[in-house]
Amino acid sequence: MSEQDHVTKEVRRETGSGTDLWSVIISPTIWALHFLACYVAAAIYCEKLGRDAPLGDIRTLVIVVTVLALGGIFWSSIRLWRVHDRSLTDDDFEYEHNTPEERHRFLSHVALMLCVLSAVAVIYVTIPMLYLETCR
Amino acid sequence: MGKGRWWLGILRCGALLATVPLLSACVSEQSMLHPAGEDAAAVANLFWVMAAGTVVIWLIVMGITVYAVLGKERPKTERFADRFILIGGVAFPSITLAALLIFGLALLPDWVRTEGADLRVHVTAEQYWWRIAYELPDGSVVQSANELHLPVGQTAEFVLNSTDVIHSFWIPNLGGKIDVIPGRTNLWRLKPTEPGVFRGVCAEFCGPSHALMAFPVVVHEPADFAAFLEGEATPVDAPPNHDLFIASGCGACHAVRGTSAGGAVGPDLTHFASRRTMAAGTLPITAENLASWLLDPKHIKPDVRMPGYDSLPDAERAALVSYLLDLQ
Amino acid sequence: MTDKSAETEQLAKVWENPGGWRTLSDVNNSVVGLWYFAAAFAFMLFGGALALIIRMQLFVPESTLVTSEFYSQVFTLHGTVMMFLFAVPIFEAVAILILPGMLGARDLPFPRLSAFGFWCYLIGGVFVCGSIFFNSAPDAGWFMYPPLSTEQSGIGADIWLLGLSFIEVASIAAAVELIVGVLKCRAPGMHINLTPLYGWYVLVVGGMILFAFPPLIAGDILFELERLLDWPFFDVTRGGDPILWQHLFWIFGHPEVYIIFLPAIALLAMIVPTFAQREITGYSWIVLSALGTGFLSFGLWVHHMFTTGLPSVSLGFFSAASEAVAIPTGIQIFAFIATVMLGTVVRSVPMLFCLGALAIFIIGGLTGVMVAVAPFDFQVHDSYFIVAHLHYTLIGGMLFPVMAGVYYYYPLVMGKQLSRKLGIWAFWLMMIGFNTAFLPMHLTGMLGMPRRVYTYGAERGWTELNMISSVGAFIFAAGFLLLVWDCVRPKKDQPQVKRNVWNAGTLEWAARFGDSWGMRSIPRINSRYPLWDDKDLLRKIDEGEGLLADAKEGRRETLVTSVLDAQPIQVLRVGGPGWLPMIAAIGLGMVFIFMTFKWWLLTALGGVVFLVAVLRWLWTGTAEIPEKQTKDIGGGERLPLYVSGYKSTGWWAMFITMTGDLTAFLALLFGYFFFWTIHPNFPPEGVDGPGWFWPMVAGLLVLLTWGLTLGARIINGKGQSGMAQLLLGASLVATIASGFALAAGPWTTGLDPTTNSYPAIVWCLVLWVLGHLIAGFIMQAYGLARLVYRKATPTHDADLWNIALYWHFTAFSGVLTALVIGGFPYLT
Repeated sequence: MSEQDHVTKEVRRETGSGTDLWSVIISPTIWALHFLACYVAAAIYCEKLGRDAPLGDIRTLVIVVTVLALGGIFWSSIRLWRVHDRSLTDDDFEYEHNTPEERHRFLSHVALMLCVLSAVAVIYVTIPMLYLETCR
Repeated sequence: MGKGRWWLGILRCGALLATVPLLSACVSEQSMLHPAGEDAAAVANLFWVMAAGTVVIWLIVMGITVYAVLGKERPKTERFADRFILIGGVAFPSITLAALLIFGLALLPDWVRTEGADLRVHVTAEQYWWRIAYELPDGSVVQSANELHLPVGQTAEFVLNSTDVIHSFWIPNLGGKIDVIPGRTNLWRLKPTEPGVFRGVCAEFCGPSHALMAFPVVVHEPADFAAFLEGEATPVDAPPNHDLFIASGCGACHAVRGTSAGGAVGPDLTHFASRRTMAAGTLPITAENLASWLLDPKHIKPDVRMPGYDSLPDAERAALVSYLLDLQ
Repeated sequence: MTDKSAETEQLAKVWENPGGWRTLSDVNNSVVGLWYFAAAFAFMLFGGALALIIRMQLFVPESTLVTSEFYSQVFTLHGTVMMFLFAVPIFEAVAILILPGMLGARDLPFPRLSAFGFWCYLIGGVFVCGSIFFNSAPDAGWFMYPPLSTEQSGIGADIWLLGLSFIEVASIAAAVELIVGVLKCRAPGMHINLTPLYGWYVLVVGGMILFAFPPLIAGDILFELERLLDWPFFDVTRGGDPILWQHLFWIFGHPEVYIIFLPAIALLAMIVPTFAQREITGYSWIVLSALGTGFLSFGLWVHHMFTTGLPSVSLGFFSAASEAVAIPTGIQIFAFIATVMLGTVVRSVPMLFCLGALAIFIIGGLTGVMVAVAPFDFQVHDSYFIVAHLHYTLIGGMLFPVMAGVYYYYPLVMGKQLSRKLGIWAFWLMMIGFNTAFLPMHLTGMLGMPRRVYTYGAERGWTELNMISSVGAFIFAAGFLLLVWDCVRPKKDQPQVKRNVWNAGTLEWAARFGDSWGMRSIPRINSRYPLWDDKDLLRKIDEGEGLLADAKEGRRETLVTSVLDAQPIQVLRVGGPGWLPMIAAIGLGMVFIFMTFKWWLLTALGGVVFLVAVLRWLWTGTAEIPEKQTKDIGGGERLPLYVSGYKSTGWWAMFITMTGDLTAFLALLFGYFFFWTIHPNFPPEGVDGPGWFWPMVAGLLVLLTWGLTLGARIINGKGQSGMAQLLLGASLVATIASGFALAAGPWTTGLDPTTNSYPAIVWCLVLWVLGHLIAGFIMQAYGLARLVYRKATPTHDADLWNIALYWHFTAFSGVLTALVIGGFPYLT
């Protein structure tokens, strides 16, 4: 390994062209915001307009928020996809454990799979909207 | 731990499950496994599907675990483990749970889409009894208490209120429960599909006599229900000893329609003796039970609001008992 | 090697536990952790005895063993004790006990805070439990729904509220301590991806506590204001709503289930690899599912309120999230199974308990999936089906893993082995007893038995099922007592176990029994299982070849490392034995306990004791200016002894505490908007708000005092200590002025908090901010005094950083409060 390579690696570690704990929690945070937005909007809407109010507007809103949330999670995934040494699986056995690359690999796996989990959870939360027609 | 013991454990669970039909054959008047209403039937079906799934999944996962602990040949690659986690932990549950969600949430009440109710019943939960008022088509109401009558095959809408603390209105054979919350009016619908006598209870802890806050539910053929309602609406002529009833102060809290007793604090007693139970589903109506109730209600129902009448001479209490038994 | 043995002697002296009656002044994690653990177990036995009373009462129909009133106290206390005094504290106990060893730290970063938390917990716990002997225990169920608890309960409700608020302080203290511990006190080289899984779980759970407990504290405040001062938050006749309590309680209550479950499952993550004799499979899968569970668990709370009549739409959202949380939970279980599958299992008692936990927990998890479907929950909610479900999750997900942990870590902590034979007996008694007791309850519930009934009629047909359950409960109790006996029986003639008795791979097993300093020297770590991968590690540790092998200055020290890659960045001097934490806890205990009885003078006295103890503790024991700037830690590295700002652990502790504090504030603000949502007119007709003038003045003054405090820190950093003192002095005046201005709004417009929920919630927000202004005032005065007495200087300014950080949060809540109470009424 040339001196140059070594320095690049050091820089990469310190500047975080890999990933850190904050980017790990981006996608679940998006889920939380999406969940809260859906719930709060529906709760206020149903309370203020009455239980037999048709869900038209709120359904549109939930769908918009869902698209935004999925878009955000997608953006986060793309970002992670570009991370150096990212990993889709947890093939631990092929790697040494004590390098910064390994740390990036680990965090990107965690973050990517959390993107998947958050996307599934976002879609789940949207399901009831698809066939309820009033607040009831 | 030996393999045999694990199987023993499984067998034990199986044996317990096998006793389900046996045990539930005994008493069915307060059971969600003996549905007699539309919602209850749907939920019971949902339950059996989910229960079967639960047993199968449990057996499979524990089978794999036992195999993992005891099995001689085992996959040695981490790649296999990774796929195992991905399929078992992510793919399978995501799909199964989505299906369950779609299937299960379809049962959520969405009443605006369904037709209007055939009957409205106002239910007020109070510590520790149920005020029941049937709304007639002309908007007037028929007061009753602690016993609910419904016509079979018709949708009843309940308008639920509480005057004191949170209660919960639950008739397991007919459908799910709904909390009765002070300051809020909750609506609930049930549609009985089979005639019979069932039992409803308070399901949310509401104080020392929470366990003693029940009510019989009688599901009639529609014609019989109409007859019941007409009878319930009819005032009674004051039976003998009515003056004693008033003099003892009973009328300040209880109403006996057709007489001077017009209290609205406690249960309406107009057709008291025709009911199946006294003290909100606590005891059958007998002279003996009534006598001990009048003597010391709190002994039977802790924290009940009604005062004891131990200060009355025995003869007067006996007269009150016979008065109550005359309220057919 | 005489210098090495002198070093060892010096280390031993510095870390020596005080003896005799001074033992109680100890703060070392190995001692406090053990106390914590013993106390949690004692409370557990108490809660178990209450459970047996319940089962005896229900053994036969129409039983007259206990009265209805007493039965209410028994089941309320059973739930309360098991949840608040056992399940959560046992996590804190185990973490305090073993986490530092696992991370290669000598102690946690704030040992005195652990001790303070422990004393809070013990005093509060004894107070709450003791109430039942005076027939005045809480009696409205462990979730204390108003109006039953606010309007009809006796002093029991206050005992519950104030006692538990006090214990929540302990939980938050532990969370702060443990989060900083995991992030900043790992051994050098222990990258974030090499951190033991237990550490990850502790991190997640610590974070959850910060967001879950504060809403309950907010709820407690509203509740106690209603009980004490008649502010009608939950009284429907004056615009209150009991549902608000249910929201606040369950926003806490559901994450709490996972706060209990995750640290217990974390023990499995440590035990399974040891007995499979291989490293864990799917490390990152487990980490991500712990994180995912932590997040999703905050979207479940309404599933405890499915039957309250909320719109179906809301139920749908929460049903969906409740199903989603099953996914990460499943991932963890599959990762454990995969590990076992790839390894070769060593048959042992801890492993037996792990398998039992799995068998039980999966049933609880699957019934959880069932009750998450709202329409099914309409039927089984508040029935014995739920009782069965929650015991399956808690006993399979918490108690059995903890038992496994007890068998696993007993040799490490006590130096002796527990009996294998008794362990197998205990396991099977508990396993059979538990399932006999709780499996039939599913059926009992579906046959219509509601929970919390003190009696049932013989004609209900529940008699046989209840008898089976009761018999099972006693078998279960017998198994548990056997285990307790095994733990406490004298083991004098038993040989002391050899080091690392299970041949585990993680760092806590490098400790030798009896050393309170953790490790002789702190090694550099290269893998997840250093003891397996580096056969030379133990020798290097013992011969002092690692870092920080000495304690020349006679101070207790531990290493602080960077968050991601664990590069050493500081030598942290941690507190030694002292009485102040205990005195502070006693003072705070007096405040909470005497408030219950409305003995205001004694309450005030307690407050003074607490304040004096805390100030003295801070003044004498924190942010000390060291006698030299850096210290040689061995291996040719010199590290600073003093850091400030976001490099310091104290700053992070303040940040984490204030995050929790902000959550509590937001929960109160939620109350404001909740009332706005449910009322067509809010503020109600005829009631004017506090106007816009005074709130605006208050908001500006809060900004001013915040700016002055921040300015003082910055200017002091530039070397102008005198100017900084001036600014701090000015900020004191601005703080007082902002407090008066904020109170002036509702005061001058005559808002009476007892008339309606609107003035009550406005006053409540104002009170919250006033309390924070008072605390901020004390801090500004403290900072000024530190500067004046040269305890803080331009180069040693940790105090000012922390005070400024506090003010960032307080300014935010102050300005937001001013905007909401002053501005929002004009928007609607």
